[in-house]
Amino acid sequence: MSSQTVFVGMSGGVDSSVSALLLKEQGYKVIGVYMKNWSRDLPGMKCPWAEDLADAKRVAVKLGVDFEVWDFEEAYRDKVVEYMLAEFKKGNTPNPDIMCNQEIKFKLFYEKAMERGADFIATGHYARVLDGQLARAIDENKDQTYFLYRISEEALAHTIFPIGEMTKPEVKKLAEKKGLHNAYKKESMGVCFVGEVGMKDFLKEYIDIQPGEIREIESEKVLGYHEGAVFYTIGQRHGLYLSGVAGETNDGMPYYVVKKNLEKNIVYVSKNLNNENIWTKELVLKDVLLRTNLKKEILVRLRHRAPLIPAKFDGKKLIFESEIKRPASGQSAVLYDGEICLGGGIIV
Amino acid sequence: MIYLDYAAATPVSRKVLAAMEPYFTDEFFNPSAAYLPAKKVAAEYEVAKGVIAHAIGAKSNDLVITGGATEANNLAFTALGAEPYPCHEGAAPGILYLETEHDSVRAVAEKYGGEAIKVLPNGVIDLADLKAKITDETRLISVSLANNELGTIQPLAEIGALVKNVRIGRLKRGIKTPIYLHSDASQALNLLDINVARLGVDMLTLNAAKIYGPKGVGALYVSHDVKLTPISVGGGQEQGLRSGTENVPGVIGFATAIHETKEHLNGNRKKYANYKRILLSELKDYELVNKKHSLDNFVVLCYNGIDAERLIYLLEERGVYVATGAACAASKGKKSHVLAAIGLTDSQIAGSLRLTLGETNDEEQVHEAAKIINQVVQDEKRRTKNE
Repeated sequence: MSSQTVFVGMSGGVDSSVSALLLKEQGYKVIGVYMKNWSRDLPGMKCPWAEDLADAKRVAVKLGVDFEVWDFEEAYRDKVVEYMLAEFKKGNTPNPDIMCNQEIKFKLFYEKAMERGADFIATGHYARVLDGQLARAIDENKDQTYFLYRISEEALAHTIFPIGEMTKPEVKKLAEKKGLHNAYKKESMGVCFVGEVGMKDFLKEYIDIQPGEIREIESEKVLGYHEGAVFYTIGQRHGLYLSGVAGETNDGMPYYVVKKNLEKNIVYVSKNLNNENIWTKELVLKDVLLRTNLKKEILVRLRHRAPLIPAKFDGKKLIFESEIKRPASGQSAVLYDGEICLGGGIIV
Repeated sequence: MIYLDYAAATPVSRKVLAAMEPYFTDEFFNPSAAYLPAKKVAAEYEVAKGVIAHAIGAKSNDLVITGGATEANNLAFTALGAEPYPCHEGAAPGILYLETEHDSVRAVAEKYGGEAIKVLPNGVIDLADLKAKITDETRLISVSLANNELGTIQPLAEIGALVKNVRIGRLKRGIKTPIYLHSDASQALNLLDINVARLGVDMLTLNAAKIYGPKGVGALYVSHDVKLTPISVGGGQEQGLRSGTENVPGVIGFATAIHETKEHLNGNRKKYANYKRILLSELKDYELVNKKHSLDNFVVLCYNGIDAERLIYLLEERGVYVATGAACAASKGKKSHVLAAIGLTDSQIAGSLRLTLGETNDEEQVHEAAKIINQVVQDEKRRTKNE
């Protein structure tokens, strides 16, 4: 009997490496694929793609499986980077990883794999499929369903998440035991595709800086200056250039960004943790995508790895039992019923 | 470990390391300082530079010490004038460079709109193409003495003679535009007997890192006729052409390494030629890429239909370290422009391995390497057949 074919997205990290290893051990015919989504070096920021690719290929060779590089750079630029820049320019804080999964990994990669005769695709995400439904990983600390809630049902039906039943320490231990060189490779931080660089530094390559005022929302007093309101996110408290108000503000309490006026290019901050702009009991969602029938009482995750909060959802509006800190617009709210990911939407 | 990548890096020899060591600690003085211990260091630095210069038939004052060969190559191109080189629209840039040059020459030449000279399928410069491309505007020709991927030795003396004739011809016709010949000799320094006058070069790039000296130390030989513009200014060291406190230990190491190299030149060439013979007779199912005109320590093999990058990882597991001309991390996914220039197909390029021999290798290692490479190639062939 000929074995089933799986195309595994291999990023060079330990999670996707162990995923490929498990599938190979389970008897699948495995083909490792490095998705080349971004290779541009920006000044002072070296894109790690070539090293990541080498790590992925080294593992594929060790496992004795075929390995290919699929170039999605053009699509990634159009569907992910352009979308991201457009959203930031509108004052939102988009999530490029969610877009990448929706448009690249579980669309273009999936489609090309199927064309090539795949029975399944696989990735190194911490997630599970239970009775055909997307479900949270065993490792609550690592669960990545927040990034996956928008992937298509069709792709999900042909997806294996080999490490969804494992914890990260187990994954690392297995990688080490099997002699994978990247068992303890540092996880990428910052903007995933550009390497060790913050979002603001990345955005500055594409969006001109536009000096503006930072004002205290209660007093309208100018506390400092910023490089462009689009670079700031509601709730942010680092990277604010406040000045000239020593003594008055230097009581050890941090300022938070609570509001942005894009038209006037003003960033409003507050020290008052009770500021009405920070807290809310309701969130309106757009582009809602429901994977299954909605339940009345649900759990909501507002950031990757954030706690699950009980809420009610009418298909458009989320209502929480008590006040929550308002997430930035453009971020996603992902809905759960127990372990099952029901879908989610983008916060208006 | 069997290291077969000497074209990429060489270990610093014990002797070189020992010679350098006191200049990091006891003899740490700034050569520019006024007191006697510093003057002693300054004198020793000059002696070391003299040793390096002497090894290529030049004088200490003809050398500009740099932070490696890349900087030396960049500096050589300032012979065209101060940066930014006036490359206005329509102006002939006047630069010719061999299409198989190392990136440190290619990138500068391309930046200033240089034109590439073709190589023949054996990797040697196409002299007819060179002659056809030299015009009265041509001001700089850059051709490496030995190629870093193939080891191909270029007929520099012949090119030097040609450039000399062009120069005489221009003078005869009252044309003032100068023409210079630059050569990057990084890869050739420990295998060829180099003399700048015999080669007829105006500038020559040297590199300590390829001859068992320290990394980050190089030199540019510059003849008296050439006027360079410094890339970095400051204290005016190196005849004003490269400011910055002298790298005394680096230059002492460089001098020791070049002296050693010169002493063992003939013995090494014979030794490597013998190893090469062993490899070529014991390896199986390959095509030899660098058949002729190549340095004795370069063996470039092609396993058509096999992904040589996979071989690298398989060999690495067996403790054998080699290089490839294929797309890989080292080349940022670009295929080798050198192998493409000599007419290899994409599949042949993907199947190419570069073995470069050096000091730590012995006959036993070479036999062992051949055995392991044969096994790995067989395994890989079997794997692809089964799928």
